Amino acid sequence: MSITSDILRGHTEAIILSHLLETDSYGYQINKDIMKKTDNRCELKEATLYSAFRRLEQAGYIRTYWGDETVGARRRYYSITEEGRRAYQVYRQEWEEAKAAIDQLLK
Amino acid sequence: MQEKIRNHINELFAEAPKTRKAMDLKEEMTQNTIEKYEDLIREGYSEEDAFQNVIHSIGDVTELFQDLEERNLLTLPEKDRQKKALLTAISVGLYILAGVAFVYFQFIATVSYNDELGLLGLVIAGAICIPPTCMLVYAANMYPNYQKRKEESLVELYKEARYSSNQEKAIKRSVSVIIWTIILVSYFIISFATDAWYITWVIFLIGACAQAVSELIFSIKRH
Repeated sequence: MSITSDILRGHTEAIILSHLLETDSYGYQINKDIMKKTDNRCELKEATLYSAFRRLEQAGYIRTYWGDETVGARRRYYSITEEGRRAYQVYRQEWEEAKAAIDQLLK
Repeated sequence: MQEKIRNHINELFAEAPKTRKAMDLKEEMTQNTIEKYEDLIREGYSEEDAFQNVIHSIGDVTELFQDLEERNLLTLPEKDRQKKALLTAISVGLYILAGVAFVYFQFIATVSYNDELGLLGLVIAGAICIPPTCMLVYAANMYPNYQKRKEESLVELYKEARYSSNQEKAIKRSVSVIIWTIILVSYFIISFATDAWYITWVIFLIGACAQAVSELIFSIKRH
């Protein structure tokens, strides 16, 4: 489990980017999706999630805007930029290479 | 219960810098936490259990506060990269200009049998080399270090190592460019001035020595 969470944490940015490819989303929604996709096995700590958002924002990979919810607190949505899409493709490719390499090494 | 969550997050943010970014983050976090809390209640958790769960999943926020103050870069932003590329391009252009000026003056000097003109050309070429050298060193140094985070995963460490070794290489390269420019220029200046061509080649040995010393300094610094 510790390997899983370590690897997950190292890829937080890429995971977020891949969730934003289809549609804009916000912190809790993204985390919920992650839990759903992994059958509740993985969940990101919120602190990890938010610091990843800030880093992605500073790198210009995502943009943020406030939702216009009338009831309750406003949601802070994120959307991916063109640059973010490119970064995701690069990351994706690097990950495939790393995965293949590790599979080879752990045979 | 929502009030309790708000209060808890307010407490977490007591130490946070008083900036707009911090307030935005607090609002974002509060909204997400409350939404999660409501989901848990809907799933049938008791109020207390749901509260404990959402508070626990927030994790350590003190780490986040550093981000609200200082810049933390995933990679060099596009603007800096462009600036760096521009600096490098101008530097290369100036080096070529220096070379052309040198050859031109040597040609004129040979045609007009004027050795002093040749020396002048050398000095001018050397002078032209100075700004691009400074620019390269500046470009290698002006970017902030990859910020070290408290909880590093292997991937982060790897990224950082790659980043810092790139930076080190850039500095090393600039240093050796400077050394050899100085060596070459002083070789010609001293040779033309003293006419002692038979011995001035020793300057190149000094250059090699300086290069070795700089490598040594780098490796000492690394360990």
